[in-house]
Amino acid sequence: MSAAVATLNRLFAWKIRGVRWVEIIGVLLVAAMVFSVYVAKAAAAREGARIADLERQITENGQRVRLLRAEVARLERPDRLETLSRGAGLGPVDVHRHATEDRLASLAPIPEPRPVVIVRTPASAPDSDAAPVDTPADTPVAAPALEAGE
Amino acid sequence: MSAHDPHLGLRPAPSWGVRRFTPSWRWLTEAMWWVEHAFGRAHADARPEEDTRVRIFVILSVFSVVFFGLTLGAVHAAVLRAGGAGAAAGHPNAVVRADLVDRHGALLATNIVHYGLYIDPAEVWDRRAAVAQIRRALPRVSAARLNRALNGDRRLLVINRLTPQEKAAVHGLALGGLGFEPEDVRVYPLGESARHVVGTVDTGGVGLSAAERAFNDEIRAAGARGENFQISIDLRVQGVLENELAAAAAETQAKGAVGVITDVQTGEVLGMASWPAANSRNLASAATYEMGSVFKTFTVAAAIDTGRADMNTLLDASEALQIGNRRINDFHAQNKVMTLEEVYLHSSNIGTSLLATQMGPRVMRDYFDRFGLLATAPFEIPSENPITPRDWSDSTLASLSFGYGVSVTPLQVAAAMGALTNGGRYIPLTLRKGGRPDVRARQIVSPETSLILLDLMRRNVVRGSGGRAEAPGLRVGGKTGSANKSVNGRYSTAHAIGTFAGVFPADGPVGARRYQILLLIDEPQTYPRTGGFVAAPAVGRIADRIAPFLGVERKADAWRTAVGERIPAFEDLEGDGR
Repeated sequence: MSAAVATLNRLFAWKIRGVRWVEIIGVLLVAAMVFSVYVAKAAAAREGARIADLERQITENGQRVRLLRAEVARLERPDRLETLSRGAGLGPVDVHRHATEDRLASLAPIPEPRPVVIVRTPASAPDSDAAPVDTPADTPVAAPALEAGE
Repeated sequence: MSAHDPHLGLRPAPSWGVRRFTPSWRWLTEAMWWVEHAFGRAHADARPEEDTRVRIFVILSVFSVVFFGLTLGAVHAAVLRAGGAGAAAGHPNAVVRADLVDRHGALLATNIVHYGLYIDPAEVWDRRAAVAQIRRALPRVSAARLNRALNGDRRLLVINRLTPQEKAAVHGLALGGLGFEPEDVRVYPLGESARHVVGTVDTGGVGLSAAERAFNDEIRAAGARGENFQISIDLRVQGVLENELAAAAAETQAKGAVGVITDVQTGEVLGMASWPAANSRNLASAATYEMGSVFKTFTVAAAIDTGRADMNTLLDASEALQIGNRRINDFHAQNKVMTLEEVYLHSSNIGTSLLATQMGPRVMRDYFDRFGLLATAPFEIPSENPITPRDWSDSTLASLSFGYGVSVTPLQVAAAMGALTNGGRYIPLTLRKGGRPDVRARQIVSPETSLILLDLMRRNVVRGSGGRAEAPGLRVGGKTGSANKSVNGRYSTAHAIGTFAGVFPADGPVGARRYQILLLIDEPQTYPRTGGFVAAPAVGRIADRIAPFLGVERKADAWRTAVGERIPAFEDLEGDGR
């Protein structure tokens, strides 16, 4: 036990150029801690400034959004829209021109699907090396297709 | 201990009572030396080790306490305060007053940052040029105030409530000495539109009128949460109502006009307009009128609900009704015995007077009270008190039965008509979206009575005086009202009121979605001045235009097709007059 204590004492008393190594390590640790605290604080301050800047931007944008919303509301005033519509010759739609989805078919019948014939132009003279093709190249191919409006 | 102590001079016993009078620096020096010599004294007392230990311990303790305190302070500042500050700052979009929006979120009122323009004359170089430039950029600024600020000796407010655009224009001049202070201003982008519903606030942000006042606390609370505050108004419906009301008023050269559109099942006001809009008085709540024949609906409802009349009841209107010295005639005299339906459709004063006098004052009073016609309308906007009759004689009852002798606000009639068309439940009108949660509907007539009235109202539009209110496929029902106004204590035929209280769709079960439109034209100048001519057409047009917004489909009923064409098959087949 005493040997261990003696070793510990010796270790504790070990000096480099008259300065205990424990103290040197302690000073280095303190310096490292001070530096790390400085770095952390600097980073936090930078982040804080960025947050403040973003918050300011949010507030400014919020105010702009409010302003634009108010402008939209002013432009979409019902009386203004009606005046403009009447000026442009628009008005409420006559009831006879109203229709539900079900009546669309009776108003404009769906055109009958018609087969569309696609005529392929005769191919140029095939290479002699080319494999023989089962379908003659000049045979028109009827492709059933529907016209637009399906 | 020896009698002579050689260290006596080194450790003088502090005697503060004496030293108090010596110069301060001297006793301070002595105290320092006393502390400094403590080790020597302890050594002299043969307790050097103990003294050193005590010193070390004391200093260690003091430093420990200080560092512990600092640690706690640092932790508190770093951890707890940050959270506290975040919570206290509230919502990033918090405002003093929430935006007021309609039931679908359309903006009605908002807060916009405006700016006050300040001038510090000491920093203005060329005052004449500054005046010219500022006036060019900001024409509405007062020249007198501008000159006073520029020629003063301190920083002065020139004009406030500059819009952001105006501020940018002035700021763009790059003049020295100009400063801007932000100020929160309540803005109503709709201008005159819906102003009677939305209301106003004072410069301190406190609601002064209408919804701004009624929901002041809730609007502020919603603003703190960064939320909008919705009211029951539908801006599209409101827009149609205002436009059609203005058109009807212009067409009839009226002095004033009122329109109210409500959802009869919830009591929500979807639109409320008062014309002229420039008049700050909301005629829907702040004016009372003798409504005329619209009240026949209430008389007939009371008669049916008490069981004193049904659709087959016959009433003798073959000759004028004599009550005391008073003679009651019909406007469109039929001079015959009428069924209840005919009384309603021909708007027979004689018929309803007979019903009222048969029911008597107690029943009439009870029912008028139930319909909310004798008390101020329970509504968020303070309303005018109705003018109710002092006595309930037969003559008064007759007058009441066709809408004279009692002056009520349009809101009262709208609420009563809503109750008669929703199954008999009286629901106070409200500007609160979704209806008032604190009020329970009051059953005032039976659902059967309500159904009969809906049928009668529809018949009145199909075959009676309300024909001009018909809107194709929307099954509009309603009752016209026409009354002369009392001028200097006498009813003047030159001053009339034309009303139409409509409801659509009038068919379907009592609980079906249904909307009530009340339109009142005050002192129309065109003839005929009855409600069926001055108010009913506008109600029809309004129903026609708002039905798509409200999701009311066009359908056929027993009398009209979905596009409004007459169904020829309908004739009074049973011959029972219904």
